Amino acid sequence: MLQISNLSKTYPNGVQALKDVTLNISNGMFGLLGPNGAGKSTLMRTIATLQDADSGTIMFGDIDVSKQKQELRKVLGYLPQEFGVYPKVSAEEMLHYIARLKGISNDKERKELVKALLEQVNLYNHRNKSLGGYSGGMKQRFGIAQALIGNPKLIIVDEPTAGLDPAERLRFNNLLSEIGENIVVILSTHIVDDVSELCKDMAIIAGGKVVQRGNPEKLVQELENRIWSKRVGKDEVARYQAEYKLILAKLSGGAMTVFINSDNDPGNGFNPEKASLEDIYFSNIS
Amino acid sequence: MFASIFAFEVRRLTKTLSTYIYFFILFAVAFLLALLAGGAFPGDQTVMFGEKVYANAPIVIDQLVGGISNFIGLIIIVAVIGNAVLKDFSGNTYTMIFTTPVSKFDYLFGRFSASLFVCLFILTAPALGMMLGYATPWVNPDKITTFSLIPYALTYVQTIVPNTIITGVIFFAVSLISRDIFVIWLSLVIFLVARGISNSIVGTLDNQTIAALLDPIGNLAKRTLSKYWTVDQSNHLYYRMRGLFLINRLIWLGLSGIIWCIGYYYFSFTSSPRKLLFRKQKLADSSKLTFVPSYINRDILPVVTRSFTTGANLKNLWGLSLNECIALWRNIYFRIIMLFGMVFLFIASTQVGKIYEVTVYPVTYKVVESLGGTFSLFMVIVIIMFSGELVWKSRDFRMSNILDSLPVPNWVFYASKMAGLIFMQLLLLAVIMICGIIVQLFKGYTHLEILLYVKYLLGFYLIDLVLLAVLSVFVQTLVNNKYLGYFIIILFYIWNLFFAQLVLKHKLLVFSSDPGIEYSDMNSFGQMVFPYYVFKIYWGAFCILLAVLSSLLWARGSEHNLKLRWAHARNKANRTSWIVATLALLIFVGAGGYIYYNTNVLNKFRTEFQQGELQAQYEKKFKKFEFTPQPKITDVQVSVDIFPSELSLHTAGIFVLKNKSHFAIDSVHVLLPSYMKINSLNFSRQSQLQLNDSDYAYRIYKLVQPLQPGDTITLSFNLDMVTKGFKENFTGLSRPLYNGTFVNNQDFLPAIGYDPNFELADNSQRKKHSLGYRPTANAITDTLQYQRNVFTHDADFITFDATLSTVPDQTAIAPGYLVKEWADNGRHYFHYKMDKPILNFYSFQSGRYNIKKDKWNNIELEIYYHKGHEYNLNRIFNGMKKALQYYTTQFSPYQYRQVRIVEFPRYGTFAQSFPNNIPFSEGIGFIADVDDSSKENVDYPFYVTAHEVAHQWFAHQVIGANVEGSNMLSESLAQYGAIMVMEKEYGEDRLRKFLRIEMDNYLRSRANEAEKEKTLERVDDGQQYILYQKGGIAMHALNKYMGEDSLNHALKRFIDLYAFQGPPYPTTLDLVASLRQSTPDSLQYFITDAFEKITIYDNKITEAHMDSTGGKYVVNVTVDSKKLSADSTGKETPVPSNDYIEIGIYNDRTTLAQVQRYKLKGGETKLSIPVSKRPYKVVVDPRLLLIDKKLDDNEMKLDGSGKTNEK
Repeated sequence: MLQISNLSKTYPNGVQALKDVTLNISNGMFGLLGPNGAGKSTLMRTIATLQDADSGTIMFGDIDVSKQKQELRKVLGYLPQEFGVYPKVSAEEMLHYIARLKGISNDKERKELVKALLEQVNLYNHRNKSLGGYSGGMKQRFGIAQALIGNPKLIIVDEPTAGLDPAERLRFNNLLSEIGENIVVILSTHIVDDVSELCKDMAIIAGGKVVQRGNPEKLVQELENRIWSKRVGKDEVARYQAEYKLILAKLSGGAMTVFINSDNDPGNGFNPEKASLEDIYFSNIS
Repeated sequence: MFASIFAFEVRRLTKTLSTYIYFFILFAVAFLLALLAGGAFPGDQTVMFGEKVYANAPIVIDQLVGGISNFIGLIIIVAVIGNAVLKDFSGNTYTMIFTTPVSKFDYLFGRFSASLFVCLFILTAPALGMMLGYATPWVNPDKITTFSLIPYALTYVQTIVPNTIITGVIFFAVSLISRDIFVIWLSLVIFLVARGISNSIVGTLDNQTIAALLDPIGNLAKRTLSKYWTVDQSNHLYYRMRGLFLINRLIWLGLSGIIWCIGYYYFSFTSSPRKLLFRKQKLADSSKLTFVPSYINRDILPVVTRSFTTGANLKNLWGLSLNECIALWRNIYFRIIMLFGMVFLFIASTQVGKIYEVTVYPVTYKVVESLGGTFSLFMVIVIIMFSGELVWKSRDFRMSNILDSLPVPNWVFYASKMAGLIFMQLLLLAVIMICGIIVQLFKGYTHLEILLYVKYLLGFYLIDLVLLAVLSVFVQTLVNNKYLGYFIIILFYIWNLFFAQLVLKHKLLVFSSDPGIEYSDMNSFGQMVFPYYVFKIYWGAFCILLAVLSSLLWARGSEHNLKLRWAHARNKANRTSWIVATLALLIFVGAGGYIYYNTNVLNKFRTEFQQGELQAQYEKKFKKFEFTPQPKITDVQVSVDIFPSELSLHTAGIFVLKNKSHFAIDSVHVLLPSYMKINSLNFSRQSQLQLNDSDYAYRIYKLVQPLQPGDTITLSFNLDMVTKGFKENFTGLSRPLYNGTFVNNQDFLPAIGYDPNFELADNSQRKKHSLGYRPTANAITDTLQYQRNVFTHDADFITFDATLSTVPDQTAIAPGYLVKEWADNGRHYFHYKMDKPILNFYSFQSGRYNIKKDKWNNIELEIYYHKGHEYNLNRIFNGMKKALQYYTTQFSPYQYRQVRIVEFPRYGTFAQSFPNNIPFSEGIGFIADVDDSSKENVDYPFYVTAHEVAHQWFAHQVIGANVEGSNMLSESLAQYGAIMVMEKEYGEDRLRKFLRIEMDNYLRSRANEAEKEKTLERVDDGQQYILYQKGGIAMHALNKYMGEDSLNHALKRFIDLYAFQGPPYPTTLDLVASLRQSTPDSLQYFITDAFEKITIYDNKITEAHMDSTGGKYVVNVTVDSKKLSADSTGKETPVPSNDYIEIGIYNDRTTLAQVQRYKLKGGETKLSIPVSKRPYKVVVDPRLLLIDKKLDDNEMKLDGSGKTNEK
């Protein structure tokens, strides 16, 4: 159980990345959805002991993260949003290196673990290749493999699918689908589908604040029958924005489709739409 | 397009803070250097170009401004110009720029010229800083001449601008080709190494031209222009773009143009550089999807045990360290660096230990010191570079996000990085060892001392390297920018190396300092080991403190704000670290206290200023006694017990003192070195201790009954010389050593009367201590001083009897003949007695010696040498024999029955003649590797021996009065003797090389004259370049001009008149008179020129060709003769002349076939010289009789032109 209480963080340049964030996260995969710059990575890095909040606490079980970083690191698996590789170092060597750093000092055990991980993430055939030559998807698979070393109780996966092509993304999400059993996994992403595919619990974060929290399906249910759409001219969007609770304006075939949130049928040529997680996302960040 | 790129780039750089930081740093460094050169720091003795050269003389400005620009400036050039294009790749802006219609030329040239422009702006800072520094009121006004903008402007235009272009182009081209910042820094290292190489081969006269052209910075080329500049010329002349300097500039500017083009053509508007090395293809998944769900199942992962105990951490550390080492080993750049280092070492090894351009045998310590010395700058750069690389590696490669969140304590990270660095240092040291052994074997030297390599490299060198690594990792940890880190470390290193000791005075404040370590085959590392390690424990503890802080403050996570890191460091979890830090601090303070106790409590510590003040006080207190009549020592009977392992000696003895004055003497002044422990001092008459100044050990005893003229009194003494603890600097000779003790009486025995030699001699220092101007020597007309000889003021000739004792396995030697040798009470005794009067100047030596004996005409010859140093014993014996042969037949009989040469450790590199005893340093001659097959090799073991043996005549038979010029009577005449012995043994041809080196030496040294250049007749004690070099050349020339017989006859007459005479002692006036007596009128001018004036020639051949008719040849030559007379500041004025000048004809490159003497007026003279054989070249003054400023133009080849003139 991860308890984040009243977490706030302001960077030296004045950007307030987290504003009084409070979240309780239990076992299973938790989706943290938010646009770029919402504060997701700040929150992730803070949980991952890489930086400190100005105020507020994070407790993981009995571990006070900001005070007992070393303790948290022992149970942490972290796949950062962005990471590089050392030149001329193979995936296998790097996993060995990290396994050693994670306290697995028995050579034989380490060897078996690394082998098993490589097989699980389908990199075994490329284990001797330099990481620098890996494609984006392979690199992320390596990333999740290293995060899993040492039987972590808390896994943080920060924007893992950003920049992957659709096939790579699907493959990666497939891999992740079962890792949330009995442990806390936090998946931060700005891709709505990632969350709908993988998570039973989620929060939407925008402008450093938690703006929505709940089970994705339930949240969608709440919006059922309240989303309406209409094709309009490009120059009319502003007028609709003023009149209705506009969630989203999308280009489609040269014209615009506007989506609004309305408890009753707004008439005026609007058609009902099926609610999706995307609508929740956009109604929270707009 | 070009204009807008240029303008944009300049605007961008002028908005960048670092531009101004660079400017400020250069400005500040120049400002400080100006203060330093201008003598603003009291007590500092930095003399850069001779004391009389103004701190803002053009040559000094050029050297300092140029030096700052070429070293610190070079880093800035790399940072600014090397990054001009590279930043588009690191910032990923290239995608935008390469897709605009800008042309490649506009882009590259715009970027290059803009960054060059900004660099040139930054590099005005040294000149400005220096101007301001010299304008401050803190500089010594005596060191400063009137301000002129010209030298700054000339340096900027001639040196800084071209060098910035040249180096800028090189690093710009490298950046275009490699697109890798690391390669650029690597090329900087290679650049520095290449310069090191050209510097290291410039040592020999013949290589100077090549070195001057090879040096991309042009320094060596400038040096060829200015090397003979006198003080006056240095103060007034500017470097002109001419000669080698001009050629050098043209060559390198041309080369840089080519390099620019190469870089330009290599570069293309693509995202990746052209393949320098084979690059691997990217791997990719297939885009097909298989619809078999494959997910990670954590449950089937093998179960592993994890442990986070200290033991597990240590085990991890081992693995991680191994990892760092492997990564380093795989690093291609490191391999390139190692390769370059090796090439560098092999080139440098050709210069090992050269004296008179002759190499020494590659004994291990020489090889280690020489290679280690030349390699040290290289190692320092590599360590600084890689410490930055290692600290920043995970951040540079963006691995820190993963690694920093792993459950590893900081100290494990830290220690693994250090292990990597130490591994690298071991590899570098191994390179020294391997190269050293290869060099030794290659030179056919098989006495490999592997253990000595290991001791020297691991026991001493490694420690300094590790300390440096800890420091630079510490800096890199604190600083948030790798390059800023480099900059800080380099600045600190320069400060620590050159300035810290000057400014902070005590070694306790100089990072990584030690009292010095110098290996001697005789004395090994001697007593230096213990203090060395105490100092290293002190600094080691300091570095542990730094290491703990580094690991506590290790930049981890995404926020590197130092304040935050400090807050984390204070976390309770870090208690162990703080305990270690506290312990380190305690050791640091403890060791520091212990050092202080040794250097400042057990021993006297004085800064240079305090030492000067002490001497000044001595003069102020006691100068009044200088002419107080004192008795003179007439008989010495002394026993000296040397205790090598205790580093102490005990002495007792009796001096007989005689009142040789016309006055009754009522008080005797007894002086001892202040470190001597006085057990007793007693006169044979009743006396009272009237004054006892323990600072100087100056005592005045009042005799109850005055000593009447002609009366004698005895002084008996019992003294100890005890080594207490250690001093800040290793003192070397003059004290007991484990093996190879060499002390003389002035080091530990009483002297009588005020000794002016302890006065502060340097006049600029005297001023600081408010003492008046003191002439550098007593005037030659000061007849009062004729009563004293120049060596010892308190005696004339004495009788001598000494009993020495030492440990059983050592031999103790003093002047005189061994009367008895015995063992008693576990000690080895020697009784020496001299049967002839000697000067009151004698030596005592003790060591484990091998003895080799020989004989010449009933004179016993002995060499006491260290086992293993047999190489040149025969040359030394030969030198003794040939010298005795020449001097006994030409001058006078040898006064003793023995000549002994006794080796001593290399802490001093000289040989010194005492009566029948010649202490001879292991550092000169004993390990010389003279190549007799080379016609040019100077056999300097032979030469030094001949010189020292000559002192048995010139010094120990005839000694001059205590006035200026008198040292010439011993040194120049001994030099003359040695030159003649050499000429007889090796012939004129081989001697010529020696004379050339001597002439070069004289001309270079006079430029550094601190006071004023004096004539040979009035030369000062310290003016070695006149005493040895000019004196030898002048006497040799006189020999040729007036004939050997006449000159030697004149010397013989001089010896006959003055040998073994007490006061009044002779002066050079007497010598010159004797010489003039034997010189024909036509040559009297030469005596005047050589002895009473400073005369320099600038002779040259302006035109030469040969005509041949019927197998007979005539050489037609135009000689241009110019004679200059210099004043004491080196100001030279042409004087009319009508002098004898020799013209020589060579039949081939090396054979001087005929020499003819002509009387030539100043200016051009045409001569026709008939020769019998086909001539090769014609040379003016081929035997190097005249001191000539430029020897290159003294000869002209005769081939080719001969044919066209055939009739």
